[in-house]
Amino acid sequence: MTLLTLTGICKNFIQGEIQVRALKDINLEVDEGEFAALVGPSGSGKTTLLNIIGGLDAPSSGEAHLNGTDITRLKEAQLSDFRLFQLGFIFQAYNLVPVLSALENVELIMVLQGRPAAERRARAEHYLDLVGLGNVMQRRPSALSGGQQQRVAVARALACGPRLVLADEPTANLDSENASALLDIMYKLSREQKTTFIFSTHDPRVMERAERLIKLRDGRIESDEVVAQPGHAALA
Amino acid sequence: MTSNLAMFVFIAWRNIWRYPIRSLLTVFALAGGLIIVILYSVLLEGMTRQMVTYATDMSTGHLQLHRRAFIDDQDLYATLPWSYLNAAETALPAASVAPRLYAAGLASAQASSTGVLIKAVDAAREPRATRLLDSVRSGTAELGPASDSTDGLPRANVVVGTQLAKNLKLQVDSELILVTQAADGSIGNGLFRVAAILKPVDTAFDRTGVLMSIDTYQSLMSLDSGFHELAVKTPDAENLGTGQALLQQTLERLAREQPLDELGGAAVVRNWREINPTISDMLKLSQSMVVVIGFIVVSLASLGMLNTMLMAVHERTHEFGILLAIGMKSRWLMVMVLIESFLLALISAAIGAALGTWLGRYLQTHGIDFSGTMPDGYDWAGMSFEPVMRGYLDPGHVVNACLIMTLVAMLSSLLPSWRTVRLKPAEVMR
Repeated sequence: MTLLTLTGICKNFIQGEIQVRALKDINLEVDEGEFAALVGPSGSGKTTLLNIIGGLDAPSSGEAHLNGTDITRLKEAQLSDFRLFQLGFIFQAYNLVPVLSALENVELIMVLQGRPAAERRARAEHYLDLVGLGNVMQRRPSALSGGQQQRVAVARALACGPRLVLADEPTANLDSENASALLDIMYKLSREQKTTFIFSTHDPRVMERAERLIKLRDGRIESDEVVAQPGHAALA
Repeated sequence: MTSNLAMFVFIAWRNIWRYPIRSLLTVFALAGGLIIVILYSVLLEGMTRQMVTYATDMSTGHLQLHRRAFIDDQDLYATLPWSYLNAAETALPAASVAPRLYAAGLASAQASSTGVLIKAVDAAREPRATRLLDSVRSGTAELGPASDSTDGLPRANVVVGTQLAKNLKLQVDSELILVTQAADGSIGNGLFRVAAILKPVDTAFDRTGVLMSIDTYQSLMSLDSGFHELAVKTPDAENLGTGQALLQQTLERLAREQPLDELGGAAVVRNWREINPTISDMLKLSQSMVVVIGFIVVSLASLGMLNTMLMAVHERTHEFGILLAIGMKSRWLMVMVLIESFLLALISAAIGAALGTWLGRYLQTHGIDFSGTMPDGYDWAGMSFEPVMRGYLDPGHVVNACLIMTLVAMLSSLLPSWRTVRLKPAEVMR
C-alpha cells in the first residue's frame, strides 16, 4: 500500500542573484514498510527532498501526499502536529537535547504528543532496550558515545509511533562498527514495527543495506531500483 | 498541557544550569538591583516616617485647632476661649490635648538681638501631646518663675532653640530680654532665664523659638482671653478622620452655644497632612520615587537578563531547530524561553528579597549613625532629622520590588523568546 506519493516536486533557491533549481520534477511513490535510501553526491538534492517530505521545507511546486494528506497544503501548526504524530526524524549530528538524559530525550516527543506518563516511560524504556541502551538510559548525551547517541535518536524516532522515519545521513559521523550496528538495529526495528524508513546517504555501507535505492543527481531522480538481496537481509 | 508545562519547566531549569557562571552572574545582577531597590525603599520610608513622627510627635500633633484669622494672618487676637479646651478634652477623652499661644518679639542678650517667635505651652499638658519638652540638649525644661536676677529683678524661665542660643551666645542660666507689643497695645518686656536649650527639632523653631509657660506669656502679652492653638494627639494616628469629624462637630455645637467674634473667624480643625502639606506631598513623592528609581535600577540590571537570554537563544538555535523539526510548536519554544527567564527572575527575587530584607531589618534596628559627625542630626528639604538614620522595612515594598523586578526581567526576555517564534527548522539546521 502506498504511503508516500510525490508528484512534480520542484524546489528553487535564490543564492545571491542566482536561482538554483535544487529539485526538478520529482515523482516518487514509497510503500508502507519500505527501507529505502535516497543516494547521490553532495548537492544532488537528498536533504532538500527529505526536508520536503518531512514538512520542514515547502516545495516551489508539486504535491507531497503522506497517508492521504497533502503536506504542501498544511499550515505551520498543522505541520507541527503532522511531524509530531506521523514522522520520526534521525539527524546526522544525533541532535539530542543535551540537558536531558537518554530516557528523557526519548520521552520528550511523547510528552508533546500528550501520552500518559506511565505509557511514555514504558515505551521509552522499551525502545532504549531494543537499541541496546537499557543500561545507560539515565545518562545525558555528553556521557554517551556517538554511536550510542545515534541509537538514542533511533529510539526517540520510533517510540512516538511514526508512519515514516526520515534519516538524514544517519551514519555520517559514525565509525564502521557503530554504523553497521546502527543499520542492523534500524533494519530490525523497521521489520518488527512495520515502519517505513527513508534515508538520505552517500555512505556505501547504508546503500548496501537498503532494499530500494533512489539515486538523485542534479535534483532529478536518476534511477530507482529495488535491491534483490540487501546486505543484512539475513536479519529480517 | 500540564504535562508539557512540567516538561518545559524541567528543561528550562536544566538549561539555566547549563552555563552556571553566566546564569549566576545574571542572578547576582538582578538580585543586586533588587537589594538596592529594597534598601532605597527602606531608607526613604524610614526618613519619611521619621519626618512624619517629627511633624506629629515633636510639635504639631495629629490634629490642630485654630481660628481662621490665626491660620491666615497669625492674628494675635484670634484666640479660642478656654472653654474650648475642656470641650475638646470631653469630645476626645482618649486623646491628649495641649493649648499654645504665640507672639512675635525681639530677644536681646549681651550685645546681640534678634527677632524671635514666642511660644507658650502648658508644661503639664504639652508632654502628653508632644515630645517638644523632652528634646532638651542642655539644662532642664522648666517653665515658669525663676530665681530673681543678681540685680533683684524678677525672672521667668524660657527654653530656646539651638541656633538661637548660638546666635545670641546663650547658655543655660544666661539672661535674655524679650520685648514685644502686648495685646493691650503696651510694650511688653521682661527678663528671662534660659533654663534649657533644645535639640534641633524644626529648622524654623530652631533659629527663632523661645518657649515659655502660659502664665508667663499672659503676663508678658497681657492676653488671657484664650489660646491660639490646640494640639491634639490621638491614639490612632492612621485613622484621623473620625477624631477630626468629632472635634469639628463639637466646635460647631460650641459656636452655636458660645458664638465667637467675627473678626477672628470660625474655629477650624486640621490634620497634620493639611497643616504640613510639604511633608504630606513628600510622602506621596517618596512612594512614587521608590517605583521610579526601582524601575530604573531593575531595568539596568535586566540588561543582563536580556544579554543572557539572547546568548542562550543564539547558541541553541540549532537545538531549537531540532525541537521544531520533531514536532514542537514554536509557541512552546517561546514559552520554554520565557519559563527560563522566569525561573532566573524567581531565583534572583528570592535571593534579593532575602538579603534585602535582612539588610533592611539591620537598618531598621541599628540605622546609620551620623552622630559622630553630626551630633545634632541633619537637615534635608527644610526638615530636621535625628543623627541616626533609621530605615523602615515595609513588607509590601519588598513584594512590590520583587514584582517590578520579575516584570521587567520578563519584559526584557520577550525579544529573545520572540526570536524563537521566527525560527524555520530547515534553515537553522542547514
